[in-house]
Amino acid sequence: MSAFLSYVLHGIAMGSSFALVASGLIIIYRVTRVVNLAQGTFAVFAAFTTSTLLGAGLPHGAAELLAVLVAGILGLLAGLVAVGKRGTSPQASLIATLGVAIFCYALEILIWGDQPRSFPGLAGSFELSGLELPKQYVVVVAATILVFALLEGFFEWTYAGKALTACASNPYAATLVGIGVVRMSLFGFMLGGALGGVAGVLLAPLSPMSYDSDLSLFVNGFASAILAGLKRPVFALVGGLIIGMAEALVAGYAKASYQSALALLLTLAILVVQGARRPVLQATEE
Amino acid sequence: MRGIMRTERYALPALLLAMLCLAGLFDETVLSLYVLFALAAIVTVGVSLLMGQAGQVSLGQGAFYACGAYTAGVLTTQGAPGLVGFIAAPFAAAALAFVIGVPLLLLRGHHLAFATLAAHLIFLSVVGEMTITGGDVGLQGIPRLRVGGFQFDSVLSYAYLSSFALLVVVILARNILASRPGRGLRALSSSEIAAASSGVPVGLYKLAVFALSAAFAGLAGGIYAFYMGYLAPGSFPVLLSIEYVVMAAIGGLGTIAGGLIGSAVVLLLVHALSRLATMSGMPSTAPVILSYAVYAVLLMAAVLFLPGGIMSAITPAWERIFRRTRQ
Repeated sequence: MSAFLSYVLHGIAMGSSFALVASGLIIIYRVTRVVNLAQGTFAVFAAFTTSTLLGAGLPHGAAELLAVLVAGILGLLAGLVAVGKRGTSPQASLIATLGVAIFCYALEILIWGDQPRSFPGLAGSFELSGLELPKQYVVVVAATILVFALLEGFFEWTYAGKALTACASNPYAATLVGIGVVRMSLFGFMLGGALGGVAGVLLAPLSPMSYDSDLSLFVNGFASAILAGLKRPVFALVGGLIIGMAEALVAGYAKASYQSALALLLTLAILVVQGARRPVLQATEE
Repeated sequence: MRGIMRTERYALPALLLAMLCLAGLFDETVLSLYVLFALAAIVTVGVSLLMGQAGQVSLGQGAFYACGAYTAGVLTTQGAPGLVGFIAAPFAAAALAFVIGVPLLLLRGHHLAFATLAAHLIFLSVVGEMTITGGDVGLQGIPRLRVGGFQFDSVLSYAYLSSFALLVVVILARNILASRPGRGLRALSSSEIAAASSGVPVGLYKLAVFALSAAFAGLAGGIYAFYMGYLAPGSFPVLLSIEYVVMAAIGGLGTIAGGLIGSAVVLLLVHALSRLATMSGMPSTAPVILSYAVYAVLLMAAVLFLPGGIMSAITPAWERIFRRTRQ
């Protein structure tokens, strides 16, 4: 029983960070209709930046915040490449984000080398009736809840949030009421970058990251986003938790190497069922 | 469009025949680079056909390459004759594409791109778990290809073999592009509804071109298995799939000549930079950094500033020369 609970706890912590990656993907996808293949890269970049800043003597908190800011700027740059040029088709943008991701590989190896890196999070753990609850898990979950609450508030109560939603729902009408769609797309990329950065900063103390960890982060994040229907960022929390727990249980009871294959199969099944149900006319318009 | 077709009809087979003859004149280093080029070009022509003509994005072509390689490798290490493995490789890859294509090709655009990427990752983890493929350690001791009494031993023999395979692939692709199914593919890439209402069997054609491009990749993979003699899941990373997309995009999506030019340009550039990076005084990570940077910059530049690839830049000049010579 305690094994089961510890798997679930691990799954919740992992799932929270998948949800953060997914929320960034969804925000970018809603505004630009581009699946950002560089989403995992933001997390890795932020994690590496944090480890350097901590090494330079910055206290916890400041280092993480600064790294998230760096990830946001990286997101903005990725957005400039992907949607900054007028007349770029969504397919071209998709391939361009792939280019950004690979370019970041070169950058990351150049700055930090090709070995996995990690940094200490909050050490120690709580004791709950014989069950060990590492403090870093609590930090991850609490930070995720805080970020999602802020996101909800942002989309609900601020003009920028509403403008983002407006661009997502009807770019033409948004232009008519004076919202710059390209500017909002770039803003979406920046926000997506920062959210990816938060995921990376929270996850790195749990498991060391290497420059190519972005692939598994992207895959899990996209799986969560698909489960959430690529619609509202908050739904991604549910998607992320499902994927995270399913993977942790598979890794615990079956075999660790099956966990990502399972998440992928699950996502493929959902995609195909959705794709088959969608009317052809609507699908070709996308 | 017709102009491109015409140049491809004469120029490409002639070019390939010329390379086939020249292959005997180079030393081993150049020849091994040439084999890599021919294998990459075989896959890239398939990718170019699939993405440029039929409009289907595939980020999983490396899985079909791996499937062909493992088919040839496993069959021959289990005692089958080399020729059987060589012939089975493209068919196994096409069969795999056919099976996964039935559900996956219901998807479009981004979703298809992700699904093919996912298929590649799942394929790698399955291969890593099976004992017959050697698992994560890899499959060792694949015998050299033997056809009749001739054993393909030297790099030169593989240069000829891969040139021959490339020639077959180019001729096949060219004939398909010029045929009625080829026109059907171009029609469905712009609008599936319009194509379907004009009588194009959309689902069937998409599946067929997907399987065909996989067969090309499988053919190249089979040759790779005999050439290297060793296979591991690590030889077929996701980046391999992306590499083919980069090559096709740089050469010019949808054109056969673009597939050849793209693979040649990318391979030569990466090779030149890796020689630069392994010179003394460079850090040990320099080759990796440079090759990633080259792929990234080429990909972004091609997609944003030269959407038709190198072919779109040289075709007008090429046609001018052709017209002049004919007059």
